[in-house]
Amino acid sequence: MDESTKRLVQRLMRRIPSKMLKITLEKWGRLTEKQQREIEAVQSKRALTEHLLSFCEKNELGVKRLTELEMIHIIDNPNQEMWYAFRLSDPEDDARSVDLMQFKEQFKSHIRELVSQVSVKIRKHTDEAVWIRIAWGDTYSCPNHLKPTYVVHNLQTPYVFVTSLTSKKKLMLSQALVLSTRYQSLKDANLSGRKLTAIRDLLMRQYQQVFPTKYPSPLTERNQTVTNPHIEREQAKPAERRLQLACEAFGVGMLPQLQSAVYKLETKLRDHTDRTMREREEPFRCVVKFASTNLLESLKNCASSGIASTPVTPLLSSIPLKGKNYFVITENGPGPSSQMS
Amino acid sequence: MERNQHSVRTPLNSVVERRSKSKSYRLSYRSGLGAASRPCFTPGLTARRLDTSRKAPKSRDITEKMTKEQLTLLVQTEWQLSYVTPLYRFRHTQLKSYSRQLSAFIAAEKQQGLAVDVEGTDNTFRVSFSLVQGMTESVDDAETVLIQIHRKSLFASQNEPLKPVWSGWLTCINVNPGYLQSLTKDFICLPLFCSSGAGALTTLVQSWFQQSFDCCFGPLEISHMSLQWLIALWINCNPESSIRQLKMIWTLPVEPPLKVTYTVNSEDAWELWRTVRKEDRAGEEEEDSIDIEEVTSFMQGLKGHFFRHFRLDLSAGCLNEVSTALGSAKHTGMIKISNSKYLITTLTLLTECAILKMPI
Repeated sequence: MDESTKRLVQRLMRRIPSKMLKITLEKWGRLTEKQQREIEAVQSKRALTEHLLSFCEKNELGVKRLTELEMIHIIDNPNQEMWYAFRLSDPEDDARSVDLMQFKEQFKSHIRELVSQVSVKIRKHTDEAVWIRIAWGDTYSCPNHLKPTYVVHNLQTPYVFVTSLTSKKKLMLSQALVLSTRYQSLKDANLSGRKLTAIRDLLMRQYQQVFPTKYPSPLTERNQTVTNPHIEREQAKPAERRLQLACEAFGVGMLPQLQSAVYKLETKLRDHTDRTMREREEPFRCVVKFASTNLLESLKNCASSGIASTPVTPLLSSIPLKGKNYFVITENGPGPSSQMS
Repeated sequence: MERNQHSVRTPLNSVVERRSKSKSYRLSYRSGLGAASRPCFTPGLTARRLDTSRKAPKSRDITEKMTKEQLTLLVQTEWQLSYVTPLYRFRHTQLKSYSRQLSAFIAAEKQQGLAVDVEGTDNTFRVSFSLVQGMTESVDDAETVLIQIHRKSLFASQNEPLKPVWSGWLTCINVNPGYLQSLTKDFICLPLFCSSGAGALTTLVQSWFQQSFDCCFGPLEISHMSLQWLIALWINCNPESSIRQLKMIWTLPVEPPLKVTYTVNSEDAWELWRTVRKEDRAGEEEEDSIDIEEVTSFMQGLKGHFFRHFRLDLSAGCLNEVSTALGSAKHTGMIKISNSKYLITTLTLLTECAILKMPI
């Protein structure tokens, strides 16, 4: 077994938590029953790695098989990497009829044309998503299996989710994807996060939404704090209204778990008391980043508790509405992702 | 809260009475918010607050007298702040003997097994006290004292340089003369204690000081108001040395907590600062002083701009952290002063905070 294969095994063992190892190896199905039982008896990570190394040697399992193991782990645990969303645009007439076999074949041949040394593995997951693992190399070096890129694409949808990537590789990936999906371009969707499922749900609107209604029905989520009944009665109405508006903006139930949203503001400082500042030609440049373990939940809480005024400003409600978490705000400027408050 | 802060104008040199075990012994000079929260019944002793006006920072070259090593240590380290009550019979001439005493104290504590074994058993610690020259502003300020603890391994060769494992310093910049006068001459006032290194060693050093000089230590948080003062002091330096960017971090009390990072371009922040600065100043002398009103209206300007976009009130949250190229400060009492030119200005503010935080 060569050095790079050894390192791949070590890296894999570092990534896969001990308690998940058994089931992942079972799914992989490359070890004999006896070997599997032996592995289950071992406790320490170091000993596990030693065992796996020797089994790989014995069963002649090379890089190809090991990448399969990695894919199984990543597909089962997609919420550990940073994912960036992209959107395919301008479909050709035959874009709708692209099937998996065709896509697989096309993608592999296109990317191999663009990059001389590349290793591509494609797997279809149960939920219709196609998972692609790309290990990149260049003219002088073999594909680097330690730093692969993962791409997730649901056929017949315009969404593509990619783990970290340099801009040069992004260009090649984008070309290969566009050609094999029969679209004309791939654009940055300005949405990123650690949870693949969350950003996918947000873009595909697979979360519980609330729509404006003239006769608001009581919502199940309520503040449980007990106070003076008079005060409560007095405050109940505005509070209910705030909650309704907060839910309309961000949804109810389990909200997609986003970690952050960034706004690059290049707008004028308008409400300032000083005239020179108000009349200044140049915009006031600043960047605002909101961060939380569940951003949408935090923002919804801000709105329902009154820290944020309701109705929620379009800037904040744009996160779920447009499925974006990176915004550039300019003064009426027709920038690529601009929007006025 | 902020309104209280500047509506109550206090005389700058309010007299602080002698340290005595009067009935208000337990009342402390709380900085910023604490003091403002009980504005009505404050007796004379607790009436002191953070100054409402302070001198604009002047860039000062303090590098002449200080050694290069001392300066790099001071400006490249992030320090944890504490306050220290005045030291009884501390002598700047006895530093050599203090070095020996503290080394022995640490060794003794280690032998008792009380000290957390930070660096393994085969090590001894060597303590050195030294003076940091040139770190004073007014004639009354006591000279800054630097304490460094080096680790010496028993197995290391003679020529191997000692490894510094802990450093700390006690300082006093621009302290209120009224406060100093209130102390009897046996007390040396070095109210600000900055430390960096293993917490176990910090505790040991503190307990040695407590035993030797009858003083007490306490954590020094940097209040909301002091953080805003730091922003103002730093931004005022922008034309001389660029702050690069002004970064502020707020936390909003919602579930789960929402962290807001607001980063402003340095030129634009400076423009805003220029407009809030009052132009009609009487007399030359006052020209380079900054008023609390200016600080608050600058912050209002920033918060207003934020509110216009997000309709979210930052005042509901708590300002936790500010940073510029000149330094960074956290509510928890961590500070880093990255530019030596403005060390004195920043330390003046922190000295004041330490005095306010101290139990009387």
